[in-house]
Amino acid sequence: MTPGETQPPVVLACGEVRTCLLPALQALDSRAAAQLLGVRADERVLLSERPNLYGRSPDTLTGVDCPLPSANGARIRAVGTVAAHASLTEGRVLQSSAHFRAPAAGPDHRRPWGHYLVRPGTVEPFGKLPYEAVAQGLLTGGRPGELDVGLIADGLLTRVLRHPLLDQRPPLKSRPTRLRWVALPTERDEGPSIERFTVAEDELRTVRLRVPAGTPSGDIAGLCDDLALHDWLLTTVVRILDGIRLGAGDPPARPRHAGERPAVVTALRPAVDHLLHLWMPRARVAPRLAPLWDALEERPGFTRQWRTLVQRIRDQLALHAIPHREAEWCP
Amino acid sequence: MTDAVFRETAAEPRTQAVPLSHLSLELGHLYMEDFEAGPEHLRRHFARVRPWAEAARATAAAGAGGKRPRISTCFLIDDYFTRFAGPAEVVPLLLEEADRAGLVVDYLARESGCAVAGKVPVAEAVAGRIVEEPPPGSYGLRPPAARTGWLANGERGPGARAPQAMKKAVWQPPKETAARRHSVFLDVELWDDGPDGHRTWSCPFLAAVWQLARLGLLRNEGEAVLVPQPHTGGAFPEDWDELPPLVRLNPRADPFAAYRTCSVLPSRFLPVEHAVRVILDQIEVDPGALDQAAGRSARENADVPASVADRISYVFYAGQ
Repeated sequence: MTPGETQPPVVLACGEVRTCLLPALQALDSRAAAQLLGVRADERVLLSERPNLYGRSPDTLTGVDCPLPSANGARIRAVGTVAAHASLTEGRVLQSSAHFRAPAAGPDHRRPWGHYLVRPGTVEPFGKLPYEAVAQGLLTGGRPGELDVGLIADGLLTRVLRHPLLDQRPPLKSRPTRLRWVALPTERDEGPSIERFTVAEDELRTVRLRVPAGTPSGDIAGLCDDLALHDWLLTTVVRILDGIRLGAGDPPARPRHAGERPAVVTALRPAVDHLLHLWMPRARVAPRLAPLWDALEERPGFTRQWRTLVQRIRDQLALHAIPHREAEWCP
Repeated sequence: MTDAVFRETAAEPRTQAVPLSHLSLELGHLYMEDFEAGPEHLRRHFARVRPWAEAARATAAAGAGGKRPRISTCFLIDDYFTRFAGPAEVVPLLLEEADRAGLVVDYLARESGCAVAGKVPVAEAVAGRIVEEPPPGSYGLRPPAARTGWLANGERGPGARAPQAMKKAVWQPPKETAARRHSVFLDVELWDDGPDGHRTWSCPFLAAVWQLARLGLLRNEGEAVLVPQPHTGGAFPEDWDELPPLVRLNPRADPFAAYRTCSVLPSRFLPVEHAVRVILDQIEVDPGALDQAAGRSARENADVPASVADRISYVFYAGQ
């Protein structure tokens, strides 16, 4: 880069993550994952096998030139690129994640496009960036025509979901979730923190973070991908348990044929086959951001809830493994 | 993860480094018609190139941070659009005429190597790295105006392809995105597909790939592509396909790739090279390769523009 060129500090990072079950009957192995996530012919898919199977596509960029949403209605035009990647955990959970960072200030005119392309994942404001107002605006969602990072995550997800490797036969019912996040700088020497994690209706989660200056936005996106994955797991398993009638109060209307499984077992089995082994918070979170999980473990207690759910599923399956005699007890 | 205790190489991005000169100086492009015009045509070309080549060397020396500038020269031969003669006939003639003008050709490249180098489909990979310049109002949706196989430096006017109902609408001009008040709109054809499905890359697109190769910014899965092969033995093969895509003719040459490029060309290349700039301005090059060039140039105090399109320069001399 040209010596002497100084960049204004990054004061805002923002992104959105889509998390869904891979619509395929069988989980994909690493090789198939590399094919699925190979969105660029000349760049490798990053594959990892420790501590769990994980594949990550190269980043793709989308150019934007539009106003940023802001809580106080200020109209701030910004130009740059939003970076997006797709990832697959244990060949089963598919995520697409789009994010950008923004400096405190930018020039008040648009520069040649090549200027933005050598700063991938950076969106520069025209003039000074009122970052607190913009962060709030981004979390609550913008008006039509304002920057929509979620659209970019959606676009990549749609592209991956059309891949011919997918047979579109998911082994269980689930709904995708959206997690929208912003990160603002911390005061002086403070460590990173989660200011708020909100579970809103219609599958939207919002996360507001504080991170020390200089934290790479890719690291923050990695943390938020991890939060989104585990939140989706909780949401999905809670819904599976919600959807079935537990207990012995409801005897089968007719005697079951040999080999026929009780409804509870049929409903719970896919969770055991495809989801229960996926819980692994912080598996790929940058060490300096990993402590942020502690706050969520404290309250509401993500892992505590997960363990309880897993125990319930195991108890139910154990109960149904005992030879069933309720029908005989009925008068 | 930066913890050094445990590492997985497949989980980490890696980018092979390539040696870099200060300047890659291109002494010309050779097309069939140039060759057919006879050795005098080549002689005139090199005689015209010579003073500009010296000027380019002097400029590079000024920007080398006080050290001896590393400068390599190259020459591109078109074997992609038309096949003519063969290396055995063309290359010795070319080198002889260059030598007569006091010029040394360090590296010789074949244009088809910019389409496919060995087994690597370079042009296709570069096409996959196009990130279109967004017109104002782009908020995250893919630009609806994107037309496959074409790349513009702005917004196209609603043209002849508009539906019948719109034909009566008032004519709207196209608009260059980075215009200074008035537009110089350019729409570049990147390729066309033949009836057999065979894709032919356009001359400006291959020239853009050629510039990226000279800037040391091409990678395939992190590995360098278009790596120069030494020329062994005296004779050149009869067939272009037997010549490596990029040959080092001068064993003592400075590295092929460089922080900056300069091409000395006749002025008929001006429209093509304008198109090259429009293309380069919309290609997201390998970030690892960019970082390597930035880091090394900073360490040796060489001034390299951040933007890729700003790293290339031209001298257009009058004539054909």
